[in-house]
Amino acid sequence: MEKPLWKDIGFHICVIAGLVVMFGVPIWFEIFAVYTYISYVVLAVYALSLAYIWGLGGILSFGQAAFFGLGGYTFAVASINLGTTAGPFALAFLLPAAFGAGLGYFMFYGRLSDVYMGVVTLVVALILFKLINHTSGPEYVIGKARLGGFNGIPSIPTLSLPGVYGGRELLDPSEMFRVFMGILLIVYIGLKALIASDFGRVSVSIRENEMRSSLLGYDVRRHKVIVFALGAGIAGLAGAMWATYQTFIDPNAFSLERSAQALIWAMAGGVGTLIGPILGAVGLQWLSLTLGEMQLINNQVLLGSILIALVLVLPKGVVPSFRMWALDLFTIMRRQREGLDPKTGASAVERQPAE
Amino acid sequence: MSEYHVIEAQGLTMRFGGVTAVDHVDFALKDGELRCLLGPNGAGKSTFFKCLTGQLTPTEGSVTFKGRRIEGWNTHEIVNLGIGIKTQVPNLYDGLSAYENVRLAAKRKHIGRSANQQAEKMLVRCGVQDLAKREVGVLAHGQRQLIELAMVLAAEPELVLLDEPAAGMTGDERDRLAGLVKEIAGHASVIVVEHDMAFIRQIAKQVTVFHRGAVFAEASVDEIMRDPKVQEIYLGKAADVAA
Repeated sequence: MEKPLWKDIGFHICVIAGLVVMFGVPIWFEIFAVYTYISYVVLAVYALSLAYIWGLGGILSFGQAAFFGLGGYTFAVASINLGTTAGPFALAFLLPAAFGAGLGYFMFYGRLSDVYMGVVTLVVALILFKLINHTSGPEYVIGKARLGGFNGIPSIPTLSLPGVYGGRELLDPSEMFRVFMGILLIVYIGLKALIASDFGRVSVSIRENEMRSSLLGYDVRRHKVIVFALGAGIAGLAGAMWATYQTFIDPNAFSLERSAQALIWAMAGGVGTLIGPILGAVGLQWLSLTLGEMQLINNQVLLGSILIALVLVLPKGVVPSFRMWALDLFTIMRRQREGLDPKTGASAVERQPAE
Repeated sequence: MSEYHVIEAQGLTMRFGGVTAVDHVDFALKDGELRCLLGPNGAGKSTFFKCLTGQLTPTEGSVTFKGRRIEGWNTHEIVNLGIGIKTQVPNLYDGLSAYENVRLAAKRKHIGRSANQQAEKMLVRCGVQDLAKREVGVLAHGQRQLIELAMVLAAEPELVLLDEPAAGMTGDERDRLAGLVKEIAGHASVIVVEHDMAFIRQIAKQVTVFHRGAVFAEASVDEIMRDPKVQEIYLGKAADVAA
């Protein structure tokens, strides 16, 4: 925590790896594979939204899909009406962030305990899911966009951003992959910078000890509202990416399954890190897809078993566990190099039995 | 010390259901004064502190700090007016280093490098500079007390509230703390809740004795020490005294 961002080797490795993936994947893999990998990138952005508010802000949201869906629908409705996508893309961040700020205001200023906060977020997502499901009638129209209820909204414009590939639509999966990877990297770097800033340090301090932060004069509730709103905005951005990637959005964007996915990715990858949930999202989505192609065994049963085993074997998640093992290995190697006992760190003299 | 009251409580009462933890307490502290609050366990001292700092909203009565009514305010708002609190059980960020703990406190008054310097200065002032890089969750109770004190001082409060600061300290640590508390009293008003009579003798001139949530006595240390009623409270014969 005391280390500035530019001195964080792990951060540099992650950014370089991200750039290699961004430019390498469209070259190394065939177009259909790249198209599939775009979904992993979108869901990685979604995973980052929960990684930030839960892992760094200490706020457990059971209904992160509420913001994902809201972002997707905001983008769909706005882009269909406006005929452009850059503005709606920004709106897909701002509207869920504003909704998150409003919801957060009532939760944090209402002094809800963590358990109730989890329930409220879950219920909000379920309400939105039900609400959107019941908008199939012709009267549910916003401008030119018909909400379509459980049928969803088809024909959502493909993303085009000013200054990116000449501002034209990202119809080529390779271009879309690179742009989405760029967004993922920007969100990742932005969050890392935020966490390393004074604001981020206060966020971590609130997660560590809310009462002490309050006794130091920090406005804990206002701080939590900001963190929650920011996480909601990022989830909304992921929702917009999802909508434009599929050119379609339906109420499943608000589903319980979508909310649970973010939690599982964060837990599997490692709560308290940003890279963990990204790897969790990509790894488990790939696993889910690969198992889905198998005919031998029910893939849901197998995936469930793998997840249970993962949580039991690595309760802290993959990234924190590997980090701990690497640190242990480094310590043992250093001790061996210095002629010390690898396990205890005792010198040869200290190891001599007393006469 | 001026005659101006930096903090004043009038008729302060805190009830939890049928239990009255603080019972119509009238209390005033002069600017620059160092006062000790004394009393057996359950006398209402810590609850009184919590009412002063917004951790609890008093059932009745008023609290005035620097001429402003603050009862019912949020803790962070009261703290930002210039009150620093060291809690009974050290309240620290266990996963962070001592330096990071103090720096977070220093940031309330200082920015950037100035906050770093203030944190280093406060660690030295409290004699815990050697623990700067240590994670506070693994430190001894006495060390944690000193780090929390460094945090309180880092924000440069005008009123310092210390709840049992000497608890769990070694003799040397306690002596150093006594000197430190007297030094703090040189430029801030201080209220200390303490059980340790030897420590109180070292630091205080004026003592307020709490008993059953109310102010039982208020006098100089020597007078309080000689007071047979106070002695009886501590010997567990309070019921007879009350009668």
